[in-house]
Amino acid sequence: MARAIAPPAPLSARLSGDRARSRRIVDRIATGLLWTSASTVVGLLLIFVGYLFVKGAGVVTWHFLTGSPSASEAGGGVGPLIFNSFYILFLTLLFTVPVALCAGMYLQEYAGPGRFRDLVQFSAESLATVPSIVMGLFGLLIFVQTFHWHFTALGGALTLTLLNLPAMMRVTQEALAGVPATLREASMGLGATKWQTVLRAILPSAIGPLTTGVVLVAGRIFGETAALIFTAGASVSYGKSAYDFNPFHTAETLAVGLYQTHREALVPDADAIGNGSALVLLVMVLAFNVIARVVGRRLTIHFTGKA
Amino acid sequence: MVEPQFIPALDEKMNVEGLNVFYGAFQAIKNANIGVPDRRVMALIGPSGCGKSTFLRALNRMHDLTPGARVEGSVTLDGTDIYAPEVDPVTVRHRIGMVFQRPNPFPKSIYENVVYGPKIHGENNKNRLLEIAEKSLRAAALWDEAKDRLHRSALDLSGGQQQRLCIARVLAVEPEVILMDEPASALDPIATSKIEDLIGELKKQYTVIIVTHSMQQAARISDFTAFFLLGELLEVGTTSDIFTRPKDQRTEDYITGRYG
Repeated sequence: MARAIAPPAPLSARLSGDRARSRRIVDRIATGLLWTSASTVVGLLLIFVGYLFVKGAGVVTWHFLTGSPSASEAGGGVGPLIFNSFYILFLTLLFTVPVALCAGMYLQEYAGPGRFRDLVQFSAESLATVPSIVMGLFGLLIFVQTFHWHFTALGGALTLTLLNLPAMMRVTQEALAGVPATLREASMGLGATKWQTVLRAILPSAIGPLTTGVVLVAGRIFGETAALIFTAGASVSYGKSAYDFNPFHTAETLAVGLYQTHREALVPDADAIGNGSALVLLVMVLAFNVIARVVGRRLTIHFTGKA
Repeated sequence: MVEPQFIPALDEKMNVEGLNVFYGAFQAIKNANIGVPDRRVMALIGPSGCGKSTFLRALNRMHDLTPGARVEGSVTLDGTDIYAPEVDPVTVRHRIGMVFQRPNPFPKSIYENVVYGPKIHGENNKNRLLEIAEKSLRAAALWDEAKDRLHRSALDLSGGQQQRLCIARVLAVEPEVILMDEPASALDPIATSKIEDLIGELKKQYTVIIVTHSMQQAARISDFTAFFLLGELLEVGTTSDIFTRPKDQRTEDYITGRYG
């Protein structure tokens, strides 16, 4: 009590001073650097999208979007390629989502810490780092050569399944991990079994992030090229229809088509087709990202009554 | 070291003998013995970390869900050991409900929250479910506030309303015993007094065991009180005895505020 407390330095002294000034300058520089970096990212994206629009917008017509590719003359379209992209995406999701959902659910909700969980986790992480061209060659070996399927939509879809299972499993795990533990306790405390808890309390609460994750992975599948060149093939099926649902027919996707156009196309308007395809591909992938957000939010509101 | 302290002249709903709970190597509950009388309120009090919540969670096998937790000893409900190998923990939790410290409604509508339990136990009849919902919400003193917004999100309710919803959700599965883990600690005084009034109503039909930090609350709402210290169940008795004539010096120290 008796000890005197030194009076604080006057405000003006604390706010000016050399040290205070240099701290303020460092702070400004740091802010400026971060802002510049963030702006660079946005700027690059804008330039990129803008360039593709300028180059490709004139090419993209209704005929271009629906017409069949031409082998040697100008004026071909990419209709079947777009169809194939969606078809292979659909097949891939058909295989990937159920397996990844169950595996992720098992790892997150059932498997306690232990050897088996570590093993699955390690396998998934290893699988996730395999370059897609390697996965493509693996698909070539298995589906094309060993199974004698030749280039097929199914072989491509299965290869993409292998490629994307780990990511999808991770998405599931993270979505489930985001559900508060108190909801699990609430459900179990009411006498629910583990399965009922997962199905009725946890999955509905995780539906938003789950959908977002699935659609984002779908966007990646849509743009995948290397894994498909040697599995789904680089030509469209010239069957009776350009829109071929037979999974055992060859199925060139838009992304593969883009690659092929620049590599070995004989058509005189290859550059234009390339620019148009790139634009369509980009818009599709951007659309996936937007859809992911919108659908995720809608489903969350639907299932939980709250955004 | 503590003798089982049976409370005479009342039916015993639950009985705990030689209960030890471990988290890994740490022993959180040491040899607890207690009889819980039917249709009364029993309060568990003691300083933070004394093991009262751990004890509570042993009574409906919630520790089964905690990796590394281990329970020894016997806990009976109407004479049947709930830890016996042939007993299904899911059935145990159906008969012994639990209300948690923080309100934890499902992110669903008010109605879906209340009928969650009945639905998982196989009730699918819409009219029957509506009846259950109304009855449970009335019993939890939430009906008047919720009846016009049954299909709105439970997350839009206030904290106190959410906690009463959680109680309604437990009542909807018609348990026999309700465990409450500091149900009012996250609530304001008005919401707290509503919960306390509700507990007074509930004991007409249910056996209530409540963990509370507030000795005033224990004194207001409970018929019996158990005092925990450092994992030991030191003393059990009628609430008036515990608060006016504690046998153990340490109980008295705590009651009079010389502890935690």
